[in-house]
Amino acid sequence: MANWSKLQTRSFLESSARDRAIGLVDEGTFTELAGPFDRMSSPHLVALGEAVEFDDGVVTGVGRIGKRPVFVISQEGRFIGGAVGEVGGAKMVTTIDLAIGFADELRAANPKIAPDELPLVAISFETGGVRLHESNAGLLAHAEVMDAFQRARGKVPVVALIGSRIGCFGGMGFVAAATDVIVMSEFGRLGLTGPEVIEEEMGKDEFDASNRALVYRTTGGRHKYIMGDCNFLVDDRIAAFRGQVTELCKLPVGDFEQFRRIGSAALVEKQMRAVALAAEMQPKDAYDVWRRAGNNDPAGLGDAPVDDFRKQAQRLSV
Amino acid sequence: MALNTLEFECKAEAASVRLAAPVHYGVVGSGDLEVILEPRDLEGAVTVKITTPVAGFDAVWRKVLETFVNRAKLADVAIDINDNNASPAVVSMRLQQAFAETAA
Repeated sequence: MANWSKLQTRSFLESSARDRAIGLVDEGTFTELAGPFDRMSSPHLVALGEAVEFDDGVVTGVGRIGKRPVFVISQEGRFIGGAVGEVGGAKMVTTIDLAIGFADELRAANPKIAPDELPLVAISFETGGVRLHESNAGLLAHAEVMDAFQRARGKVPVVALIGSRIGCFGGMGFVAAATDVIVMSEFGRLGLTGPEVIEEEMGKDEFDASNRALVYRTTGGRHKYIMGDCNFLVDDRIAAFRGQVTELCKLPVGDFEQFRRIGSAALVEKQMRAVALAAEMQPKDAYDVWRRAGNNDPAGLGDAPVDDFRKQAQRLSV
Repeated sequence: MALNTLEFECKAEAASVRLAAPVHYGVVGSGDLEVILEPRDLEGAVTVKITTPVAGFDAVWRKVLETFVNRAKLADVAIDINDNNASPAVVSMRLQQAFAETAA
């Protein structure tokens, strides 16, 4: 097993799903549930003659941060691009339900329990969305995870962590948006339709997926931070993501409503204002929106060290 | 085009190394594999189960696994592999890495 202290200094971007899960919680507290030794592989992939993985590409388990039980879900991008199928989706849903059930139990046993002793769910996304091999089962898995978020709302905070190689795209982009709070690194990417798919559908003139700078300033953590799509922008280290989750662990579940992007009439209004702004502006580049948000030198801001970016960046308000 | 399962047993010439605990290593990325090594009472033998989309390389698999088991002097271990088109060199390396994890 990976050395916990060494994991802390490791790049989040380059870490495997399991290392991210272990490093996110306190040293030695992570217990994997439905792990590789349980051999819960996808039956659909077997039928198709496609390679399978013992954990179906999702690491699930529970650990602690301080007194708080933290239920962790961590997706592995190297296995079929982190695409979510039936088994992996069921593991996600079950983990969230375990957290909800545990929260209920703890509250019933001690109505005066401190907020930082109640469970929290952290999901490290690295996925292109639905595993197409599993079609409807994969789609259903997405819906079930969103449904679990609804059950968790007001009971157990759900935190999204995005800073891995594949990013978070497709249906899982929707799922991430439905969490309570999103933490990204500048290397994290979040969106619905991935760059390659946009290029394939709309042509290279619309979006050049081979232009890394364009891809990152459109889908990357810095842009999402300015747009308000992510709440916190952290350094690319496991310790930095862990540090932000540790801060969030101090908050009672009610405080997480302030971070949400969807889920109330007021937030829908806000989203509609953003859509109206896009229609009015017709931006040709993400930097147009950065400028509109009050950043006079978007290119300079985009190239600045992430620490300076955090200090200087003006975030869009609609 | 089904997923192929290859199962066989081998015995190291100087079988003497037993595992204290099971270990899992690797990710089934493209051209990569994962391996589980588990201690099991097999009267000194080593069982191997490989699940792979690749067909027609049974002899190569056997050779690579036998070489590993002999070098590591493994006894009473069940090896379980999920493969996704890994080359023999990668298979060899991952097996050694998994084995190194058991000592860590």
